[in-house]
Parts: sequence; structure tokens; C-alpha cells
Amino acid sequence: MECRDVREMADSFLAEELLTETNHEILRHLDTCPACRADLAGRRALREGVQRAFHRAPDLGPSPEFIAQLRATLQNPAHHAPARRGVRFQSWWALAATVLLAVAVGLAYRGRDWITATGALARAAVGDHRNCALQFRLAEKPTSLEDAARRYGASYRVLESQPPNDVMTAAGPAHVVERHACVYGGRRFAHIVFTYRGERVSLLVTAVDGAVTLALPGETLPHLTSPSRLDGMSVVSFRAPRQMVFFTGDVVENDLVKLADAVAEPLYRGLAASESVGARYRSWTSAVEDVYALDLGIVSSPVGAHASRAR
Amino acid sequence: MARKSAPAAADHMWAAFEAEALPHLDRLFRLAMWFERNRSEAEDLVQETMIHALQSFHRFQPGTNCRAWLTTILQNVRSNRRRARGRSPLVDDPDDRIGQATPFVPPLPQQLTDEELLAALRRIPAPFQEVIVLCDVEEMTYKEIADALAIPLGTVMSRLHRGRALLRAELGAPTQSLNRRRAGI
Repeated sequence: MECRDVREMADSFLAEELLTETNHEILRHLDTCPACRADLAGRRALREGVQRAFHRAPDLGPSPEFIAQLRATLQNPAHHAPARRGVRFQSWWALAATVLLAVAVGLAYRGRDWITATGALARAAVGDHRNCALQFRLAEKPTSLEDAARRYGASYRVLESQPPNDVMTAAGPAHVVERHACVYGGRRFAHIVFTYRGERVSLLVTAVDGAVTLALPGETLPHLTSPSRLDGMSVVSFRAPRQMVFFTGDVVENDLVKLADAVAEPLYRGLAASESVGARYRSWTSAVEDVYALDLGIVSSPVGAHASRAR
Repeated sequence: MARKSAPAAADHMWAAFEAEALPHLDRLFRLAMWFERNRSEAEDLVQETMIHALQSFHRFQPGTNCRAWLTTILQNVRSNRRRARGRSPLVDDPDDRIGQATPFVPPLPQQLTDEELLAALRRIPAPFQEVIVLCDVEEMTYKEIADALAIPLGTVMSRLHRGRALLRAELGAPTQSLNRRRAGI
């Protein structure tokens, strides 16, 4: 790392917004560069100076009278009811017509929801790959998968060992170089970085929420997410019971599909078991069918039927 | 299962709000005062913010950053008020006006008073002030700032970068001219 790089990232370093690895690189540089140490000390002093000046400025603080008056206002029970939002309708007929219209529009668009939502997730995954795996530039510093598992759910723990560090695919070996949890575009990902076919390739797993609720046939098997590249990256994905799993990188689509094929089944099993959807003891394909059936509302409880499907 | 009566639930909500949100009142007011530059406006803004926060407190997730949550509400209230008054929205992108040029950054003087620091911060364009105050003073993460100001994460980062360079230039400039005057140039 050179002085120019350190100075560009100095403020993000002070704000603790960089990746652990980048922090270490900066610290290594600082050990040997007095000029950058002085620059960083100056920036730190400026931050602390502004903060101190802001908190001490007498003309910025609230008056005791205002604090007392505000407390009294807030304690008034009239302000305790949850805020009501929305439109006041002239009549119940208008309300009924609006509800009917909303239902009709909702039904019309429901079929498109999964496409839009999956596309948005795929773009976020590509953005995370570019910012985290290629440029080492993230707003929030990544955390360990173990920490993420404690905070956000057991599925992160699955990614500590799945896929294994060395994977043999039909297109050649892939090797894991990094595992962590990170945030991009307001979405949290379990992020595994491979070196594969001479490139960095990311496996990103993110929880499915509200917008994506419908697993379509074939969606639970690895497939090209988009017929064309997204932001210059190939993207392959499959749907796990409660997550979307993306593979992305600047490699040929077919090679990416081969990597996904090599790791998808055990990864799917691990994620399914961590979410207790009852897929632990069934074959992958039957679990896929079960989840599909559940999502369509065909059955209302964990399924015993073992449908089979040729891949 | 026994249900809490409405007054008991309200008491519980108020107690939680008092413990979580009210301790941030001083800092929230300083922020409002900095943005509005007028005590009466700042008081109105903070009062409206706190009433909104109390009425929406059931949506606050315990364990998350309450000050950032309050700051986001404050920014929303501020935006709505400006819109209602027909003033320009707060999300004006100053990047076009400032351009890509980053000013020359002179070394900072060793001794700076609080007044000099705040005066220099006042002299840089408001959108840069906002991100610097939220990041350096309020210690919000880039993501929290992006949410509070409703701007993309990349804009937060670029504004911080340029804003700090502008601030350092502002702080260096008076000293340079003072040194020149001292040297009789």
C-alpha cells in the first residue's frame, strides 16, 4: 500500500469503516511511514477538535426551560397514542373502491414481484462483490460469521464450513480465501470469496424477506440469474428455504454454473437444517419440491411426500 | 394470556422512551441548532421530532442505535417542514457545483480554538457540514448517515472526503494569511 492509498482511506480508517484486512495493511504502512502517521494524527485531532467544540459550544445547547417544557409536553397522554397515518376517505364507498383497486393491482403485479426482487438482490450481490471482494471498500466493516450467527441466525454458522476451503469443479479447482458477514446497500450477506479460474469469485447468501416469497420451479436449482451480465459480472443463483444464494464474478457463465453445481447441494442441506424446515433427512431434490410446495401453499405443514425430479 | 391495560402499556412505553430516547435530547438539540441557526426553529424542530419518536417508539428496535434513529426522524421532519415552506429540499447534490476539484490542503495550525473550528465548519457548503457533523460529532456509521439523509452510501463517502478537504483548507487559509502578514509580505 502506498501513501496515496493510505491518505485516501485515512478518514474511513478513523471512522472504523474499513475491512479488517485493509486496516492491517494501513497499520503496516504506518509502521514505516512517519509522514502518513503525522497526516493521520492531524486528521484524528481535527475530528476530535470538531466533536469537542460542538459539544462545548454554549450557544448550541438547549435551555433548561425548553427541556422542562418538552418533558411536560411529551408526558401528556395525548402524545402517547401511536401516530396514525393515511388518507381520510370521504365515504366508506370511496374506501371500498380504493381497497378493491389496490387488491386488483396487487394481484396483477404479484407474478412479477419475484423477478423484480431477485433482480434487486442480484444487483446488491454484484455491488457487494465489487466493493468488498475486489476493491476492499465497504461502508460497514465486515464481521466474522460466528459473530453474525450469534446476532442474526444460525444459518451464518453453516457458511463457516460450507463450502469447504477447496472445491473441485468440472471446470477446475476453487479455493476459499475469505469468509465473513458484510453489509452492502442496506442488505446483510454471508460472503465467501474464492479464487477460481484466475479471478476472485463471490458466494453471497442473504435472507429472503417480504418481497421474495414465491419459489418458482427450477429456482431452487442453480441457474443463470440474468441472461446478460450485471455490471460486467456473471451471476448464478439458487433459492434456499429462507435465503437467496448468489455466485458472481468476472468469469464465463458456464464456469460459474459449474462452481455453483459443485457446492449447491451440501450448502442447501446445511441452510435447510439450520432453519429447521425438516429437510435434514431427505434428499435434496425432494426437499426442493417440499419447499416449493410449502411456498405455494399446497400443504400447510412440513411435508412427508417425496416427489422426485430429474435434474 | 393476560393483556396489559391501555394505561399500563402507555406507562411502560413512556418509561422505555424516557430511558432510551430522552438522554439524547441535548445532542439532538445541538444538531437542530446547528442546522437551523435559530433557537426558536430548533426548539420547534426538536419538539416535533420527539413527539413523532414517542408515537413511533413501538417501531424502535431495542439494542440498535437510538441516537441515529432520532437523527433520522429529525432529518425527515426537517425535510417535510422545508418542503411545506416551499424551500429547496435537503437532498440537493452540491457535487455539480463544487466539481471534482479537491482544494489544496495545507497543514493545519497547531492551536485552534473551538470558535475557529466551528467557524471554519460553517463556511463550507451545508451538505458537507451535515455529513461531517453526523460522522465526526454524532459518530454515526456511513450507512446510518445515508439512511438519515436519504442519500446513497457513495455520496456520503464522497461528501465526507471533499468536505474534510474543504474544512482543512478553510482552517489552513487564515493561518497562511496571518503568517504572511507577520512576515510583512
